[in-house]
Amino acid sequence: MNVGIEALNVYCGLAQIPVRTLFEGRGLDQERMGNLMMDNRSVGLPFEDPVTNAVNAAKPVVDRLTEEQKNRIEIVITSTESGLDYSKSVASYVHEHLGLSRNCRVVEVKQACYAATAAVQLAVGYVASGVSPGAKALVIATDVALVDERAAYAEPAMGAGAAAVLVSDDPRVLAVDLGAFGNHSYETMDSARPSPSFDIADSDRSLFAYLDCLTNCFESYRAKVEDVDFATTFDYLAMHTPFAGMVKAAHRKLMREFAGSASAEADFTRRVLPSLTYPSRVGNLCSGSVYLALCSLIDNGALDGGARVGLYSYGSGCSSEFFSGLVDRGSADELAAMRIGEHLAGRCELTFEEYTRVLPGNLTCLVPEQDRQVDVAAYDDIVGRAHVERDLLVNTGTKDYRRTYEWLSR
Amino acid sequence: MTAREKVWSAVREGITDILPGARIEGDLHLRDLGADSVDRVEIILGVLDRLGVEEPLSSFSEIPNINALVDFLVERVR
Repeated sequence: MNVGIEALNVYCGLAQIPVRTLFEGRGLDQERMGNLMMDNRSVGLPFEDPVTNAVNAAKPVVDRLTEEQKNRIEIVITSTESGLDYSKSVASYVHEHLGLSRNCRVVEVKQACYAATAAVQLAVGYVASGVSPGAKALVIATDVALVDERAAYAEPAMGAGAAAVLVSDDPRVLAVDLGAFGNHSYETMDSARPSPSFDIADSDRSLFAYLDCLTNCFESYRAKVEDVDFATTFDYLAMHTPFAGMVKAAHRKLMREFAGSASAEADFTRRVLPSLTYPSRVGNLCSGSVYLALCSLIDNGALDGGARVGLYSYGSGCSSEFFSGLVDRGSADELAAMRIGEHLAGRCELTFEEYTRVLPGNLTCLVPEQDRQVDVAAYDDIVGRAHVERDLLVNTGTKDYRRTYEWLSR
Repeated sequence: MTAREKVWSAVREGITDILPGARIEGDLHLRDLGADSVDRVEIILGVLDRLGVEEPLSSFSEIPNINALVDFLVERVR
């Protein structure tokens, strides 16, 4: 049975700031830009939150379905480390604003940047089980960034946005290799979000855990799947991308351990670099990061004749997975309809002053308030410079703790 | 060559491989030498390679300075 990703899209906000501009504005050491390998970071605007990001990512996916197909979405799962309430899920708002069937499971999952992959794999298992033939599951990884100058060199690496992944038995984008996966998880405090307004991170602990988990996940994958060779089994690799330079270090480590080569530059350029084009323009998309990398690979790789992709997902805390699937020319045609490259190029470029003006709104967008009004029109100057051809959901505030939303017409 | 001398030699080589001209002093952290997080990974992996030691990177998360790094590795090569 073929099961996997039927449709895929990302939404990475309306605004971005060049990493160089941010380095200059913050007085950061420009020499550190080399290992970061980042060009821009997406910046949320104060009327964007995990719900708007999720809906704006998933709407083009849902709109391409017939009413009958849409009604086969039997599960909606939001994966986020940017929850809005201890009880009420982001998925409940998303389900409403996407206009999905009420005969639907609605749930939210959390495990830092890994949770979306757990949800995708559980959905793949559900579809493959045959308990509801023809069922679809919509997994949406959605997050916002809570960083400012206190995050130092992590600030330029953080992105914001969402990835929408439609799982079904018609895997036009990625046919998942069923049963081919390796996991590694243990408790660690490498990074966390102990409150709705700030993150904590231990950069060494996190980087080291990511890399240890990658090695162990690949070992676990190799123990399950026959005749696996890191250097030849996978035509491409797409990994969770906290920043592009970290993925380069991860690839170098695996080449050293499993391909007996410390010199990995040519292999990196051929098998990994296509997956980093979008992440280097967006920053860490958190739960959606590996799916942004997959989009990048499909839009920028050479897929004629088909290709096997090795995917690695890591979430602090920590849990991780290496899995794989097949993509081909049809995957590229399917994804091209989402025009992700145009979306990223169309974001408004912020000056450092504009960036610091919108930051306080971002840092408080998850904080519960009984009543709040967000003045969307106050950001018309920025929105007007973004190239958008479709209606977007915006957060207009809260009323009795319930979040309120409107469609912003273009 | 004692185990400590062997480790110091591998640490010096591992550091200068990534940070040519670095002034290596035992009471400094690798970040004090100008190593960013990716550099720190490369330095540690390079040192482990030179010593033929296998050790999870997470073992190095809390090492406060180069002296402590050397102490830790001396125990592993013995």
